[in-house]
Amino acid sequence: MLNRLLRASPYIVVQLAAMYLYQVAGRIDFPAAPGRIGPDFWPKSILVLLGLVCVYEIIKNLLIGETFTAAGLLEKLMKDSGEVEGEEKQRSYPLILVGGIVLTIIYVVTISSLGFFLATIAYLALFMAIGRYRNWTVIAISSLLGALALVFIFMKVVYVSLPLGVEPFSVVSLWLLRVMGVH
Amino acid sequence: MEALVHLGNGFLQVLQPANLLVLFIGLVLGMLVAVLPGLTLVMGVVLALPFTYSMELLPAIILLTAMYVSGTYGGAFTAILFRIPGEPIDVPLLWDGYTMARKGQPAKALGWTLFAALGGGLVTTTVMVLASAPVAKFALAFSSPEYFAIIIFGLASVVSLGGGSITNAAISLMLGLLIATVGVDSIYGAERFAFGVPFLQDGIEYLLVMVGAYGLGEVFTRMEKGFAGDGAPADTDRSINTEFPTIAEMLKLKMTFLRSSLVGIVVGIIPGAGATVASFVAYGAEGQYGKRGKDLGSGIAEGIVAPQTAATSSVGGAMIPLLTMGIPGSGATAIILGAFLLHGMQPGPQVFVTSGPFVYAVFASIFLGVIGMCIIGYFAIKPLVKVLELPEAVVSAFVVMFCFIGAFAARNNLSDLYVITAFGILGYLFEKFKFPIAPMVLGVILGPLAESSFMTMMVSHGNDWTVLMGRPISATVMVLAVIALVYPIQRQLREKTRRSGS
Repeated sequence: MLNRLLRASPYIVVQLAAMYLYQVAGRIDFPAAPGRIGPDFWPKSILVLLGLVCVYEIIKNLLIGETFTAAGLLEKLMKDSGEVEGEEKQRSYPLILVGGIVLTIIYVVTISSLGFFLATIAYLALFMAIGRYRNWTVIAISSLLGALALVFIFMKVVYVSLPLGVEPFSVVSLWLLRVMGVH
Repeated sequence: MEALVHLGNGFLQVLQPANLLVLFIGLVLGMLVAVLPGLTLVMGVVLALPFTYSMELLPAIILLTAMYVSGTYGGAFTAILFRIPGEPIDVPLLWDGYTMARKGQPAKALGWTLFAALGGGLVTTTVMVLASAPVAKFALAFSSPEYFAIIIFGLASVVSLGGGSITNAAISLMLGLLIATVGVDSIYGAERFAFGVPFLQDGIEYLLVMVGAYGLGEVFTRMEKGFAGDGAPADTDRSINTEFPTIAEMLKLKMTFLRSSLVGIVVGIIPGAGATVASFVAYGAEGQYGKRGKDLGSGIAEGIVAPQTAATSSVGGAMIPLLTMGIPGSGATAIILGAFLLHGMQPGPQVFVTSGPFVYAVFASIFLGVIGMCIIGYFAIKPLVKVLELPEAVVSAFVVMFCFIGAFAARNNLSDLYVITAFGILGYLFEKFKFPIAPMVLGVILGPLAESSFMTMMVSHGNDWTVLMGRPISATVMVLAVIALVYPIQRQLREKTRRSGS
């Protein structure tokens, strides 16, 4: 039963979300014109279809316990070639994944304060380390040169205004831009 | 005749040094992306997009299309030499390409790949040049029901032809269509699913969905697999040559070549089916209809020529609906459409009227790209396969950076970084639970077009949706869409009956 519940869980989550969003769509505020469909019609239609597909999968997985499914052409071709099964046998490293996601979220949160250059050096180095790479010299050099190269390419060549950060970190960003001749 | 003049002028434009340089860079980048197993072709084109922001439209499109073309070829090197398919496209090359190499003929296997990529590329480009203008002219007569039907067909094929189960693909597609409705709608000005959050009121840019789900999502997925420690899984120091097949040998494979070119072009035109499907279908067709079909897998040339020709041929096919109707059929063409829109140009039936010379310049760049990629492939295999030595963790760290910069640079908005991180996690969850990403991305891209053509159709025809079945073109296309959806289900039922019987 637990297996069935696990298999059905993504569909249950999507189904619940679809039901909630249907409620939200019902509250869309617009000047209704007689005889014309409103802006809620399209999302509601999609949500109904989404709900129907999810109900089908929930019943199939949870109640009937059926695992057989209609596959897309590419899936079938890959399965026939044995590629799909080959991929599934790989080892899993959930802690590395969690570390990578947390690090990425921290980067996004701190980039406006630290500035692109400093935040990127730290992110690149930590990401490589979390990703089980252990050549510290390469990590140090590639993080520093990589961040420098990205700043140069995007601020000097492509003219993208990357975040400079706030004091005192912005001092480093501004100094770097002066050295690179970016005004 | 006029087309030839335009094409000639197109060649002159592309042959300007700056454009040639961009073409060269695009070809090399496409090959590198194809060689690296951690980077897919679509992801590579996504990562290149931010570099095009400050470019003129023509070099921007040249860069992306060059990557698209050469991305269908570069992975063949590592598949044949080291049994490492850089892309799913190259999986069929393992069966005969790698086997031929193991039999002591790696140079010959590479030569056949080069022949197939060059031939398939030139055929598809010729078809693209000849067919695009008439298709665009035909499409000028389309009204909202025809557009809506074509989009529905495109979305139905994405669901039925892609990876994953049909229901998961359908859920992915509908989530994409829903994401496209976030923000203020264009007809009534009503706010939908924004929940009072300012950046949601502007809508969710499909670029963010693509970069997040394809780029970050793929990195997270590979991260969970622990990344390959130090790269260099194979002996990249040995001598690597290419031996071109003789004319007599090529002539023997003319039917394989023609069949696979046709498969590639047709599959390319069908939305949702890209180079990977073309490669597998052509290999399957060769097994069924080829003279030596039964010998496939034993290291014969047909097993190399069929998938490679079809993969490269699919590029020209995919460009036809993109340029003539503004409908991208694959991830890569969706990004190319994004580049068009970012530079203020909407591809569609009018494009030959308003920007004919530009379109022919794009055609010329693809012609030159096909030739250029083969020249680079001939002379630079060794340095190209050296990128396998790069540690995956290092490459992935930079991939994330390019994703972030690409997302940020589009609107200079830090909130977009949160959006792509969210879509990165969603992309990972999709991979984890076997939901294909492509339908969601195409849903986000085609959603607004689908909704606006649907609303226009309903307004123009008094809320009568049966108009779809009352017009010959839309009715035919809708029937095709139904077939596309029903066929896999019918196949499933047949398979289930067979399984329960045995």
